[in-house]
Amino acid sequence: MKSIQAGTLESMDCLVTLTEAPAGAGIKIAITGASAARFKSAMEKKIKETLAELGVKDIEVAVQDNGALDIVLGARVEAAYARLQKEGAR
Amino acid sequence: MTINAVKREIPDYIEGYGKVRHYQGAFARTPEGRVAGAGLRCVNSDKTDKRVSSIKEAIKASGLKSGMTVSFHHHLRNGDYVVNMVLDACAELGIKGLTLFPTALFGVHKKVLEHIKSGVVTKIMGSVNGPIGQYISEGGMEVPVVLRSHGGRPRAVMAGDVHIDVAFIGAPTADKYGNICGTLGKSACGSLGYAFTDADYADKVVVITDNLVQYPAAPVSIPQTKADIVVEVESIGDPAGIVSGTTKVTRDPLRLLISNYASKLIEASPYFTDGLSFQTGAGGIPLAVTAFMKEAMIKKGIKGSFGLGGITGYFVELLKEGLVDKLMDVQSFDLDAVRSIGENPNHIEISADWYANPWNAGAAVNMLDVVILGATEVDTDFNANVNTEADGALLHGTGGHQDTAAGAKLTIIAQPLLRGRIPCVTDKVYSVTTPGEVIDAIVTEYGVTINPRRKDLLDAVSGVKGLPLVSMEELAARAVKMSGPTDPVATTDRIIGVVEWRDGTVIDVVRQLKK
Repeated sequence: MKSIQAGTLESMDCLVTLTEAPAGAGIKIAITGASAARFKSAMEKKIKETLAELGVKDIEVAVQDNGALDIVLGARVEAAYARLQKEGAR
Repeated sequence: MTINAVKREIPDYIEGYGKVRHYQGAFARTPEGRVAGAGLRCVNSDKTDKRVSSIKEAIKASGLKSGMTVSFHHHLRNGDYVVNMVLDACAELGIKGLTLFPTALFGVHKKVLEHIKSGVVTKIMGSVNGPIGQYISEGGMEVPVVLRSHGGRPRAVMAGDVHIDVAFIGAPTADKYGNICGTLGKSACGSLGYAFTDADYADKVVVITDNLVQYPAAPVSIPQTKADIVVEVESIGDPAGIVSGTTKVTRDPLRLLISNYASKLIEASPYFTDGLSFQTGAGGIPLAVTAFMKEAMIKKGIKGSFGLGGITGYFVELLKEGLVDKLMDVQSFDLDAVRSIGENPNHIEISADWYANPWNAGAAVNMLDVVILGATEVDTDFNANVNTEADGALLHGTGGHQDTAAGAKLTIIAQPLLRGRIPCVTDKVYSVTTPGEVIDAIVTEYGVTINPRRKDLLDAVSGVKGLPLVSMEELAARAVKMSGPTDPVATTDRIIGVVEWRDGTVIDVVRQLKK
């Protein structure tokens, strides 16, 4: 299974790692880091919304957070997914 | 359970703390009774040398037993060797169940954790941080930590809430009869302000020095009349951790903007006149505020009366240039401050009692015009939290936050609206350190938010050019819009920390985190 990353561990950013999952596996999310204690629900919601917009149903998402706002988190997920697809097309 | 004056539900009795006196308002409680104190001693001319050969011998000579209370000062900051040396020696002597009563603990004291786990230390009254704070937050200690402000601590000692059995005082310079000086020696730390109460009220005082000089040592901070035992060691601390080099003004444009707004607020306030007094501490934003204020003072020809609290090179510069007349120094942060307090008679060493105690005949904070503070978070009632982090862990001491806020005519909390994703303005702070009753303004990158209680201040700053005013409601709405909704902190019912207001009432409690 291929894995790919987007983002950084700079302040107010996050490092998103996407790993392909077999069809039917669903979406698995793991969040660690600065905001995990108080913003897990909001972050999970944002990740699911972003993946839904991209039409992704089966994937593993790992987020190492350093205080990213939702808008940053969504962009990092989107970028990682674009890279994953590009890799897949090669 | 009782709902106190900051709307917190607090039990009437807390296991390991005792009966709770509930917080009823910043100035509601008045003292009764007389000052508590140490036992009388008698030392005659047959004893002209108080030295013993080692820390262990000093502990034995002090009569320290299991279950007693030991105290330490934090003037050696993150360079301190004294706490670890003494606790190690206590452990080797088989002493257990000690109550640790430091004026503050630092990262260098993480070894205390081992002594907690092995039962040498079973109670802490004082700040906890880093791994110790995390361990306690997760339920590692049987009894709750008691947090007191710099003024609340001497108050507790003088009121008899806490009795110090043995005070261990790290002394940068001392003589064989126990005169202590903080400004000389390889471990010079400047002011010894936090150690005074301990020297005055402990039953036994052990002086630990790495610079023993011929009797009498001078200049004297704490005199021989308080000292029972003197012990010479190789080193009491690492100079690199005792004083910082040069503390620097922030260069972050966001923080500079906040500092600029805070300075403008002070300039627009009725306190910006000759005789102005202020405290700004050593953080990045406060230092920048000091720099902006200095410019404004020169431009408008204003001369201040005194700078208070923890003193840095910036304040020393203000003193030298005549922009303030005196410095009242409870803690000297950097080399410039250490040098200045040793040389300049207008740079005055003050004790924590003198600095901040609400229960004496008047502390220095009462004379303060302006203080700039920080906080983990502030709520819409202007209550501030400095003790717990966003994840609910008890990681910070109270410091002089409560005391200066209660004393100063203008108390400003200055900081960015978000730290990472965590908003510094919320509906309800996780735990209350300082009540909104004594906080006048919040300054963020969006401008100045004035406590509606201070209509006079609101009038004074309305219409000032380049100083945006933001209501608390607007600020809180903006914070939640950017950060998103927060999940509650998951805790058990067990209380692991008791936050006292400076008068000894309980303003809030901190509960054990769920793993």
